[in-house]
Amino acid sequence: MSDKRVTRDEMFAVVKSNIQEIVEGAKGIDIKETDSMRDFGADSLEIVEVVSRSMKDLKIKVPRTELSGARSLKDLLDLFEKSAAAPPS
Amino acid sequence: MTPGARDPERRVVITGMGVMTPIGERVDDYFESLLAGRSAVTRWRDVDERCASRIGGDMSGFDLDAHLRGAGDAYPAALVQSARRLMRPTPLSGRITAPAAMQAFVDAGLPHASLPPERFGHVLAGHNVNSNYVYEGHKVYLEEPEYIDPLYGVVSEDTDVLSVISELLTLRGPSFTVGGACATGNLGIMVATDLLRSGRVDAALVTGASNDLDPPSLHSWVIIEALSFKSFNDDPARASRPFDALREGFVPSQGAAAVVLETLAGARARGARVRAEVLGAAGASDASRLTKPDQNGQVRAMREALRDARVDPRAVDYVNAHATSTPLGDAVEVAAIKEVFGEHAYRMPINATKSMLGHCLSAAGLVELVATVLQMERGVLHPTINQERKDPELDLDFVPNQARPARIDVGISNAFGFGGLNSCVVVGRPS
Repeated sequence: MSDKRVTRDEMFAVVKSNIQEIVEGAKGIDIKETDSMRDFGADSLEIVEVVSRSMKDLKIKVPRTELSGARSLKDLLDLFEKSAAAPPS
Repeated sequence: MTPGARDPERRVVITGMGVMTPIGERVDDYFESLLAGRSAVTRWRDVDERCASRIGGDMSGFDLDAHLRGAGDAYPAALVQSARRLMRPTPLSGRITAPAAMQAFVDAGLPHASLPPERFGHVLAGHNVNSNYVYEGHKVYLEEPEYIDPLYGVVSEDTDVLSVISELLTLRGPSFTVGGACATGNLGIMVATDLLRSGRVDAALVTGASNDLDPPSLHSWVIIEALSFKSFNDDPARASRPFDALREGFVPSQGAAAVVLETLAGARARGARVRAEVLGAAGASDASRLTKPDQNGQVRAMREALRDARVDPRAVDYVNAHATSTPLGDAVEVAAIKEVFGEHAYRMPINATKSMLGHCLSAAGLVELVATVLQMERGVLHPTINQERKDPELDLDFVPNQARPARIDVGISNAFGFGGLNSCVVVGRPS
């Protein structure tokens, strides 16, 4: 995923896949952007694991200070999109 | 003196056992492999090519889900479900180790029905158990700090293996790790025995953790010529050959084991099956950081354990030797056994579980305690394999190459570690 720009849908697919794998309560659920991982019973360590693994899969980096403000998956994807659009640091 | 002269409240018994090894992922399979003289040693499946250690008892490809699926009804469904959830982010050491603890707990009859969790302690025998996970984490960090496993700071700790198993089995008593290099497992038994004798707990799980070995440690052990790395890389099953004249170093292995200990009075009160009694245990230090074994320290460990057990050396029927297959180590241990037992040493069988299994490091004391208890229960000695050329200086009965029947009422299990850490555990047939 490094050469061409990753679309939001592709980012969401990666995030959903990681949530399904890591968060027990999300297995088999149709996950929407408006959902929060807390809705599926994720604990704080599981949330940080989903976020970190997704950033690694998508080869993007979002400052930890910005991530702490994300409440829903939509907020997270907004940050991911912004980071993907920024020139590499 | 006869064994078992203590008050039943202070006598410590084994009521549950579990093992996870490359030659058996449950107690019966493990023992069948030992009796058959089956070697666990193969070429490492996935080792850094620059690392000169090429062989070991390899569980690096261990698949916990496959193990749980293949276990049938050996574990209660609820325990399997909890294990799947808790083990998902757990590094390899915990994934191999937890099923051994689960087996011991099930074997003890799921003791929570009659033992309060608050009175159930947990001793994790193990240190540096996730060193390969730590090594891999450092490599990721050097490349890009943001991409390190976010749980690294939690799950890389030895205590994570302790705590995740305590959560899995709801053990709420005193819980901590014990470390003593290759003597770790025996020292864990010693400490748990003291917890029970003092009345601080009513039961204790002692879990010997699998070491996830990192290439730098393996390579360093080659450099100091502690490992077998010269002659048997193309014939790994012959590499671990304690006492044999062609021995050239130890063979590291992954693997775990666990036992449930209780007081005899407590076990009787809840109608538990007593598999063996821990008659005594001891540790003795050489006050030396060196890897070189010391006969005096080994003698002191055995004598002190027998004194603690109130057992005369002539009453010992069997020795599970530390016997790592190093040229010096095996010779020193044989000399120490002769010094402790005198002429009786020549009448007493001595074998080396490591000849099949290799050296499970932190877990060695536990896998060998389980082997000792199984031999006692079933009246048969497992062989010491790879006895091809006799070392003329090592002239005791090492049960060469073939299992054979024997009655064992009292056995000892030795474990001696780098840094002059010596230990011995004495076990007896339940009375």
